[in-house]
Amino acid sequence: MSSAANPQSVRKVPTYCYNCVAGPDFMNVKVVDGVATEIEPNFAAEDIHPARGRVCVKAYGLVQKTYNPHRVLQPMKRTNPKKGRNEDPGFVPISWDEALDLVSAKLTSVRAKGLVDDSGLPRVAATFGHGGTPGMYMGSLPAFLAAWGPIDYSFGSGQGVKCVHSEHLYGEFWHRGFTVAADTPLARYVISIGSNVEASGGPCAVTRHAEARVRGYKRVQVEPHLSVTGACSAEWVPIRPKTDPAFMFALIHVLVCEQGLDKLDVPFLRDRSSSPYLVGPDGLYLRDAATAKPLLWDEKSGRAVPFDTEGAVPAVAGRFRVEGAISVDADDARQQFDVAEGVTAYTKLVEHMRKYTPEWAESICDVPAATIRRIANEYLENASIGETIEIDGQTLPLRPVAVTLGKSVNNGWGAFECCWARTLLATLVGALENPGGTLGTTVRLNRPHDNRLLSVKAGEDGFMAQYFNPTDKEHWVAKPTGRNIHRTLVPIVGNTAWSQALGPTQLAWMFQREVPEDWNMPMPTLPDVWFIYRTNPAISFWDTRTLVEEIAKFPFTVSFAYTLDETNWMADLLLPEATDLESLQMIKVGGTKFVEQFWEHRGVVLRQPAVEPQGDTRDFTWISTQLAKRTGLLEAYNNALNRGAGGGAPLKAENYDYSLDASKEHGVEEIWDAVCRASSASLSEGREVHDLEWFKEHGFYTVPMSKTEWYLSPTLEKQGLRYEMPYQERLLRIGRELGNRLHEHQMHWWDEQLSEYMALPEWHDVPGRWTQQIKNAGGKPEDFPLWLLATKSMQYHTGGNASIALMREVAQNVRGHTGVIMNAKTAKSLGIADGDRVEIRSHIGATYGDAVLAQGVRPDTLVILGQFDHWATPVAKDFGMPSLNTIAPMSMELTDATGSGSDIVRVAVRKVERKEAAV
Amino acid sequence: MKTPKIRPGERVGPRQQHNWDWRAASNFIAGGTGGGLLAFAAFASLWGADVRALLVAGMALIGAGLTCVWFEIGKPWRALNVYRHAATSWMTREAAVAPFVFGTGVLALATGLGLFVLLTGIFGACFVYAQARILAADKGIPAWRHRRCLPLVAATGFAEGASLLAVATPFLIPHVAGQIAVATGALVLLFVRVLLWRNYLRGLRSEGAPVGSLRALSAIDGPFLKYGNLLPAVLLMVGVLGTPLAGAALVLAGLVAVAGGWWFKYTLVRRAAFTQGFALPHLPVRGRGTSGAGVKPGWGGA
Amino acid sequence: MTRYVMAIDLRRCVGCQTCTAACKNANATPPGVQWRRVLDLETGEFPDVRRSFVPVACMHCDEPPCEEVCPTKATTKRPDGLVAIDYDTCIGCANCVMACPYEARSIVHEVKFAYGDKPIKSEEVRFDPARIGVSMKCTFCIDRIDLAAQTGQVPGRDPEVTPACVNSCISGAMAFGDLDDPDSKVSRLIAENKTFRMHEELGTGPGVYYIWDKG
Repeated sequence: MSSAANPQSVRKVPTYCYNCVAGPDFMNVKVVDGVATEIEPNFAAEDIHPARGRVCVKAYGLVQKTYNPHRVLQPMKRTNPKKGRNEDPGFVPISWDEALDLVSAKLTSVRAKGLVDDSGLPRVAATFGHGGTPGMYMGSLPAFLAAWGPIDYSFGSGQGVKCVHSEHLYGEFWHRGFTVAADTPLARYVISIGSNVEASGGPCAVTRHAEARVRGYKRVQVEPHLSVTGACSAEWVPIRPKTDPAFMFALIHVLVCEQGLDKLDVPFLRDRSSSPYLVGPDGLYLRDAATAKPLLWDEKSGRAVPFDTEGAVPAVAGRFRVEGAISVDADDARQQFDVAEGVTAYTKLVEHMRKYTPEWAESICDVPAATIRRIANEYLENASIGETIEIDGQTLPLRPVAVTLGKSVNNGWGAFECCWARTLLATLVGALENPGGTLGTTVRLNRPHDNRLLSVKAGEDGFMAQYFNPTDKEHWVAKPTGRNIHRTLVPIVGNTAWSQALGPTQLAWMFQREVPEDWNMPMPTLPDVWFIYRTNPAISFWDTRTLVEEIAKFPFTVSFAYTLDETNWMADLLLPEATDLESLQMIKVGGTKFVEQFWEHRGVVLRQPAVEPQGDTRDFTWISTQLAKRTGLLEAYNNALNRGAGGGAPLKAENYDYSLDASKEHGVEEIWDAVCRASSASLSEGREVHDLEWFKEHGFYTVPMSKTEWYLSPTLEKQGLRYEMPYQERLLRIGRELGNRLHEHQMHWWDEQLSEYMALPEWHDVPGRWTQQIKNAGGKPEDFPLWLLATKSMQYHTGGNASIALMREVAQNVRGHTGVIMNAKTAKSLGIADGDRVEIRSHIGATYGDAVLAQGVRPDTLVILGQFDHWATPVAKDFGMPSLNTIAPMSMELTDATGSGSDIVRVAVRKVERKEAAV
Repeated sequence: MKTPKIRPGERVGPRQQHNWDWRAASNFIAGGTGGGLLAFAAFASLWGADVRALLVAGMALIGAGLTCVWFEIGKPWRALNVYRHAATSWMTREAAVAPFVFGTGVLALATGLGLFVLLTGIFGACFVYAQARILAADKGIPAWRHRRCLPLVAATGFAEGASLLAVATPFLIPHVAGQIAVATGALVLLFVRVLLWRNYLRGLRSEGAPVGSLRALSAIDGPFLKYGNLLPAVLLMVGVLGTPLAGAALVLAGLVAVAGGWWFKYTLVRRAAFTQGFALPHLPVRGRGTSGAGVKPGWGGA
Repeated sequence: MTRYVMAIDLRRCVGCQTCTAACKNANATPPGVQWRRVLDLETGEFPDVRRSFVPVACMHCDEPPCEEVCPTKATTKRPDGLVAIDYDTCIGCANCVMACPYEARSIVHEVKFAYGDKPIKSEEVRFDPARIGVSMKCTFCIDRIDLAAQTGQVPGRDPEVTPACVNSCISGAMAFGDLDDPDSKVSRLIAENKTFRMHEELGTGPGVYYIWDKG
């Protein structure tokens, strides 16, 4: 019999899983005689955690992750100086001392040379995996990074193209929504455009939507293939890829041109949006000559007044004669109007949308006009304008309709239009940031991260304050400070801790190869040292075969490694960390957070060693402390920890002090014990202090939070602010300024992107950009007649778990995990049968996989789940799975103004013999 | 490490069973024939034929089948546990009959007493019947549990037994009348087998069955009729008509008829043995959506 | 009397396989053996297509065909409705595998581990040679149900005595409990909603109820 049948000891260790952005989720690890055997929900958190203490399928792979025989279990040094896919790195084991000496010697020499190089770029770069999740496993490394100084986070591993990039930027701009979700528990009608929330929303989203289905909400899924989310929706609308803006424009048309203002939420439009602002003949706001404040038409006094005039009753619609107004254009160019016609922003919108009828959209989207019209009308009907709800004693509007957007809808060309349209659809019916409606989750470009309501401050023109990268002549960053030049090119991304990673990350890679002809900035350089952790850009970004060649050029790469993979194949040093179930860390939980984590609590949760670290792997906090010590940064590192860089609360505040002696080296447990005490003291406002031992037993600590904090609109109302909807005067102006700066430097390579800065978005042939790119690259568009899309797999999504055998086994129960999904009729016409080996070819290369025939996919579309095509990662390298990433080009033409690209590519498909497909 | 690929679709509809391979099939193939042979040997013995060789052959066939199964089961050294469930399990009953077959058979051989020969025949027939009931009780395989499968499996066992008797007839039964009688008997049994086969196939098609089962069985329909039944029937007619090569015709007829039966049983136990698969009488309602019509993927006929 | 059953709400299930993985964790099943899994079932023709997710496992039938055919009495139906297998009695004849219309049973003849021939630590401590060469299937986490008798806890209500799959389900699709207790969660769910049972026409009396619409 197994020893588990008669164990000497059985423990249940509370901890968390934060492998994907939808976390953290709570769980217990069952440990039998010192061996982790099972993952279980943590039922102690049932009433606190929005997913009732449950974790998704990925977490159940963590036992195998711990004992995976392919793990790197001791530091390794590269012995082959040549780097390349076909060069065996020749890793040999070394001691931690030797490894840390190697890396600290390198870092010390970098510091001696200067933290930035001659091009003004940081000499140290770091790339971490998806959506901040590596931070939940890297212990106190953030404190080391903070102590170090400038670090370039430019080299993305898929950021911008695999996330919902435009939503991050514009969502946060318009309503402090780094990601945007439906208020699912109250929603009655959700239009989900390409959002695969049932696969990528984690247990919280799955729980909420399951409840909503049983309650009887209607979700309409608009996407080219029948995803898991589509499957669980009431209706599937198989739209043509990348035509979503046209679909959404037609929805708006129905609302504003067919239904009209009377049917919309007039008070919301009047008081919470910029609908009443008057737009002058030059397309800019008419402003008060004295104060430069935008004007609106006061129905009470019958004249144009500044937007914040006390007692004014703004007209939402109409055209008015305005005297003595000015407009302010880019670079503060002012124009005076003696008399001008002022058109309300709302009326401008109505006139602008007139041409976008459902009939117009039908031919573009391949969706019947009647369907579009019906959906728009159902949306309006379900908005129940006028209804209210009481939450925690506060009466709020109830607008139970939402629009959500998914990856590929939400990045690259067309995404700006979709984000605008989505926010506008919510605004028109008063559902933006109100109960039941379309909600932001959290902020990352603004602060503080754990309470977005506090990020709302009054800014110019009656809107929220925004922290754009400057575009004025004096402050524009002409000399990039990072390799993806985010501060120079993307005003809206700002310059906070997350901004760099949300810049145009593919540009960092592209410019290593080639810069545009009229590039008039310092030439991009390679970083002297590159740190990578929980990331594998050689698989997860695009044009991966070329990317690997770029990665091979990096002079010194340090990988905090779990197994060998396609990126650390080029590393010089592998430092194995004690992973999920083996190490110690505390993080914040609660509040509101992506993807659909809406809590009624705030708190902290501990990740603790359920079992001893395998081999000679080390706790990340120990590694970080050693790095700090050996590079002479111990004091700065400790100070960063004292400020709260470790994740929990600052170690010192008004009513407590658990700060660490900055001059001393502290042990792992000592550091986290201080964080435990400080966090509990901070949360309880000094009432309760819990140490590490307490947390090891209880796992988490939370305090209640009102549900009203889920909604931003009450905060705007309190501060008398408006959403910057529908008219984008500010963006228009900033775009012009940016253009001026670039053109002053004789740079025109970003001109196409500048066209995205519009006051009211226009339809442009979004899908046509892909065929045009093929033409420009010398190919024939007709050779690539199909679309290839990538979609997410819950089993793998950002799990870093391609080498976990259990995931492979269970994932295969879900359609698409064995190859490429294609329409059965299309396949038949191409002589392809289910299971046949096929080649999927774009104009830059081919990827190979097995055909998975389905009816739930458009005939012109192929779909690949997840991202595979591994060649070094153990287990995964034998999958024989295709990957979109292998054949999607990185291209300036396909990069939008935010610097993102859409996860889609034009392809051809044909049946091949198995041996031909062996790459 | 290579990881096997499983396509989700394969796991929804019926799929070919893979737990009983050629070894289990051999038990039905050889055991059925053996049991049938013992029954007809006993029958022939009533007319004074020396059936000792037939008894040996019948027992050998049953023994061979059981040995094959013994090699297939997961815990061969616990094989005797098979006797624990006589109340409902036809596998227990099949196994229970076997010792009686061998016991009476050995006694018949040793004593030459007609009673033991007859008992051997009866137990042989019971063995055939028990095997047919094993398949019939396996609800997981629609092609087996169909009510017309049981008589067919039993009939082919007896037809094969009679056919083997026909093979032996030229050597055991010198007089023409006896040979004609055997040939006629075999002919009748082949006729019954054909009727039951057609009836079975028709039943499966009209009531619905896994597509894989229908395909596998349909694939053998023509050849089974022509070569497994018609050809031996013609040869048996030759025997019945007492033509000069009657003896050879009987031998050939018997062998072909047995081969036909074996081919059918191998097909039934292996290639046509598709599982039930899964079906939904109602598709779930998602939110304010509608339910869809029920589905039963991978089923045909009906 | 007690009759343990499961109610699975197909309206909730998203086919994520969390229950599949949780079951494999809890029961230490070898690679390729899934006592429980979720079917991903597509029906219809483009564009009128539906996808349903259907968790399947042993249905713990009222009239288990596996029990009827089992020649060893290794498979037995308990008074509380659980269909159990005695691994020390089973001979691995696979007759029950053929009898089960739910593809719930499997037999592993060779020792296999997740990463090849050698067990990883978690497999090593839980490897049970008694399960090689015999029939296996979902037990409704029988040890937990038996524990309830000792602790006085209620299966389906208290997680310690509830099957791992039910505990793990993130969509809340799965419920477990006593059908003979009218106040149990399963009894209420079954009474309040429209349900069907898989292949009910075969007369097996399966103990898993699939909810497909409100009542």
